[in-house]
Amino acid sequence: MTTASFGAVARRGGRWLPFVAVAALSGTAVTLALPAVLGRAIDAIVAGGGADRWVALAGGLVALGVAGELLGAYAGTATVATAAAWLRERLVRQALSTGRRVDAGDLVSRVSANAVDAAQAGPTAVSVATAVLPPAGSLVLLTLIDPWLALAFLCGLALVGAVLKAFTQRTAEVVGAYQRTQGRIAARLAEAIGGARTIAAAGTVEREERRVLEPLADLRAEGARTWQVLARSSGQAAAVGPLVLVAVLAAGGLALAAGRISPGDLFAAGRYAVIGAGLGGLTGTLAGLARARAALHRVAEVLARPAVQYGQMRLPPGPGRLEFRGVTVRSGDATLLDGVDLTLPGGAAVAVVGRSGAGKSVLAALAARLRDPDEGEVRLDGVPLPDLSHGALRAAVGCAFERPVLVGGTVADAVGLGLPRDRVRGAALATHADDFVSRLPLGYDTPLADAPMSGGERQRLGLARAWHAERVLVLDDATSSLDTVTEMQISRTLTADGRGRTRLIVTHRAATASRADLVVWLDAGRVCAVGSHAALCDDPDYRAVFG
Amino acid sequence: MNAVRFGLAALPRRPLLALAAWSVPEALPSALLGVAVARAVDSGFLAGRPMVGLAWLGALLLAAGVGAIGARQVFRRLGDVVEPFRDDLVRRVVGGALRHALAGRPDDGAVARLTRQVEIVRDTYAGLVVVVRGFAVTVVGAAVGLMSVAPVIGLLILPPFVLGVAAFVATLGFAAGRQRAAVRTDERLAATAGAVLAGVRDVAARGAEEHAAAMVAGPIREQAAAERALAGTAALRTLCFAVGGWLPLVVVLAAGPWLVRRGLTAGAIMGALTYVLFALQPALSRLMSGLGGSGLRFVVTLDRILTASTVVVASAPRPVAARGYEVVLRGVTFRYGPHAEPVLLDLDLTVAEGDHLAIVGPSGIGKSTVAGLVCGLLSPASGSVLVGGVPAAVRPGTRVLIPQEAYVFAGTVGENLLYLRPAASPASVAEAVAAVGAAALVDRLGGLEARVRPDELSAGERQLIALARAYLSPAPLVVLDEATCHLDPAAERVAEEAFAAREGTLIVIAHRVTSAERARRVLVLDGVRPDVGSHAALLSRNPLYRDLHGLWHPAPPPAPRPPRLPRPADPVDPLNPVDPLNPVDPVDPVDPVDQGQTHVL
Repeated sequence: MTTASFGAVARRGGRWLPFVAVAALSGTAVTLALPAVLGRAIDAIVAGGGADRWVALAGGLVALGVAGELLGAYAGTATVATAAAWLRERLVRQALSTGRRVDAGDLVSRVSANAVDAAQAGPTAVSVATAVLPPAGSLVLLTLIDPWLALAFLCGLALVGAVLKAFTQRTAEVVGAYQRTQGRIAARLAEAIGGARTIAAAGTVEREERRVLEPLADLRAEGARTWQVLARSSGQAAAVGPLVLVAVLAAGGLALAAGRISPGDLFAAGRYAVIGAGLGGLTGTLAGLARARAALHRVAEVLARPAVQYGQMRLPPGPGRLEFRGVTVRSGDATLLDGVDLTLPGGAAVAVVGRSGAGKSVLAALAARLRDPDEGEVRLDGVPLPDLSHGALRAAVGCAFERPVLVGGTVADAVGLGLPRDRVRGAALATHADDFVSRLPLGYDTPLADAPMSGGERQRLGLARAWHAERVLVLDDATSSLDTVTEMQISRTLTADGRGRTRLIVTHRAATASRADLVVWLDAGRVCAVGSHAALCDDPDYRAVFG
Repeated sequence: MNAVRFGLAALPRRPLLALAAWSVPEALPSALLGVAVARAVDSGFLAGRPMVGLAWLGALLLAAGVGAIGARQVFRRLGDVVEPFRDDLVRRVVGGALRHALAGRPDDGAVARLTRQVEIVRDTYAGLVVVVRGFAVTVVGAAVGLMSVAPVIGLLILPPFVLGVAAFVATLGFAAGRQRAAVRTDERLAATAGAVLAGVRDVAARGAEEHAAAMVAGPIREQAAAERALAGTAALRTLCFAVGGWLPLVVVLAAGPWLVRRGLTAGAIMGALTYVLFALQPALSRLMSGLGGSGLRFVVTLDRILTASTVVVASAPRPVAARGYEVVLRGVTFRYGPHAEPVLLDLDLTVAEGDHLAIVGPSGIGKSTVAGLVCGLLSPASGSVLVGGVPAAVRPGTRVLIPQEAYVFAGTVGENLLYLRPAASPASVAEAVAAVGAAALVDRLGGLEARVRPDELSAGERQLIALARAYLSPAPLVVLDEATCHLDPAAERVAEEAFAAREGTLIVIAHRVTSAERARRVLVLDGVRPDVGSHAALLSRNPLYRDLHGLWHPAPPPAPRPPRLPRPADPVDPLNPVDPLNPVDPVDPVDPVDQGQTHVL
């Protein structure tokens, strides 16, 4: 179900793909037939009789060609649009269902650009299948008119190939230098934008402008060089361009003089020479196919990522007791958590402390089932987390992060993610986010893009977003960017949570640990000790955790 | 069609004339094509003189050689047309982006615009010049050739051709609209998908996968509709080509018997059809793909650049005579939008010359807003912010602001340090560096001549450089907006004490509450009522402040500091101040900073 094969995508293009094929084939037929018919028409016109039939046939072919092109354009666009939308929707759903952080920029390029390229699978397959027909057919028809024509054609083609070889390398070199200079200007601009407040306060914007634009003279020099390279190659192309046509016309002219062919044949031969030289266009079509395949591969990579599977169970009544049983988590060769056995009593505020890399965040992710252990299991009120249904699990457990990513059109959306407004406001009040949200230009309706926020403000919204949790609230270093005052306010709200929820609080601050009911001290993936802050404080190693 | 006007206006006269002049030889091959075919057949191959026929074909090759020289020169001149245009765009983008950022609306797309979009415009602009010029050259050449083969054929071919071209040009506006719509939906899709996919973990934690997928589903559908709508554009183009490219052929064929009866030869008819199929059709097809592809991309992309880099330049404030640099806020109310709760309400604050004020309060409460107001970066909704008796905005030389994210640019260490005082002596630079505690850093970097790149420095190191620069600046009013937050507490102390000892006023937006202990006066912003007072006074009367202080020092709070002797308010001209590096009184004898710490300076 998750594979996105070439065939599957081509089929997703829907009912229009056969029309793409019909249009392509009729186009090829018209292209190949028309020169011969025109030749006959010319001969008949000159001979002064029976021209009407050929002229009518030529007119009919032109009309057929135009109709085919109209059909092809419409069917091709419709096919690609349908398949691309299908791929995009699946990409987004699959990425969301994995639940793991992804490189969003990379994924967006797959959704935005790669999906369209991959959706070209059907039409490009058709064009590759039909692209070889006009040049090959031309060669055959040239041979049929007169074998010498085919020979002249091939000789001309070889000559053009030889002349046009060997300037791509120099182009790449010159373009590289140009792009580096351009990068210098961009880097300076990025710096200056980053220092906007400093510059604004100092009133030095004109100076900054001059500094950023300083490499512009170099850029122009590099640019001039790119045009010179292009000038040389265009000159060469213009010189050898008519070579194939002239070669065929010369051979055809001699055949005409010798009476082997008619004037109409000569005209048709010239046409076939031009169509045959279109062989070069085949590389473009093949490149299109390669691009579609590469894009499809990038799309399929995402679709192959495993989705989180949920069970069917609901939670029995309970206080929110969390049990970790023999939990081991590995990442590559590293063991992040090593046989952790831990029971967190329901309704308790539990601080998780330890040095960086001790496994605190992994423990938090397990509790919120943002990842599953490689060994062992995690239970909430006796139910293994994977047995819980999606709805039951997410209603019971909420998680706030050190760097929350806010998703939504407005601030209210970002906090609620579908929840009604009164619950949004309530959560924001509880987490002291209401203070600054109400100062935003449109309050809760302020678009996220227009609400520049500090790290601490984001954290407060992230906390508000998790606030709905019914039994367990997981805070993964979720108040670290708050200044002293705000941290204190929120810390009080948390430790005095009136709703009796279990709170698992990953923290670096001694003050937070001191207010918790219980402290879990992790070191190198193992539980060092569990107890109250006061009791643990006797151990100098414990105190060292807080720096 | 703003972009079209802009692009046309940008065409420089002289290079354009050179371009036109070199186009004449380039037109030769297309002019000769049909004539050569007609003559080669009529007076060569069909007349039993094959060598004459071959000579005419040879002439065609010769013409191609001459055309090649023209083509080469044309592309050389193209640089003279395109490069100045690109320079102009780069200037616009840079200027616009800087001014937007300064106005507090940083534009994340500016850097992409500078590299990607400007390049697209440069390439498509060149492409358009090439295509339009090439089309004109071919058509003029072919028309001349046609008329010389047989004027009557020219009159049969050219009208439908012109009609097709005109119809195509007439539909360009419609096509551009569709294209623009497709670009817009693509951007909306990318933006929405980007925002949602960046939060996969966060969405999963909330179990809101369906909600998030639905957020992207709308833009996906819109994009598919926009893509389908482009099919209409392609169909129109095909029809225009049928009229301009195929109709002339059919007309000539239909008129063929009549033409032959009037004495036209086989060669003449072949020559005419050669012009249609080998010159006019390819030229029209290139024009269509050029204008329909590059042209639309040019218009759409250039429009975006022009829109994004348009700045409403506020009239430059006139310098006003000011006296001193006392900061006075009277009844200042500030809000970020007309419907927003005010961030500051009716705030009164006076910071005398030489004062040292710390501002504390929860994040988001408006501390940085005060800094922005004092530095003239923000304007109050009501009330006034005066520095030395005149509005803050008109006096950039008076103050230096160091924000949380320090500004260091790629260049030498010295260039960065001298940014606000280019003429400073080496001795005063060294003194500033030592004062703020940046000496070890400057040494490690390799001295003042060493080049630095901001991304190779840590946030704390960038702050040290910005601090040294501010210390060195002639500005008497220094505002540190969490400017030391990436330094450790000891380094923060060194830097803050250096500024406290420097001549002039110091305002510190405190990240750590310890900054407040060092200040002469503290402003506590808690969202209800601002409270200003000394550390000691606030400890005794302000519960938030006391609480805060207790939290930071679990041990009993230290004894209140003795008040610092106020310095006489020096009548310093802010634009020509006393050298802050040689203050009259560098070490305040009653400065109680040495609570077990070594005193710098």
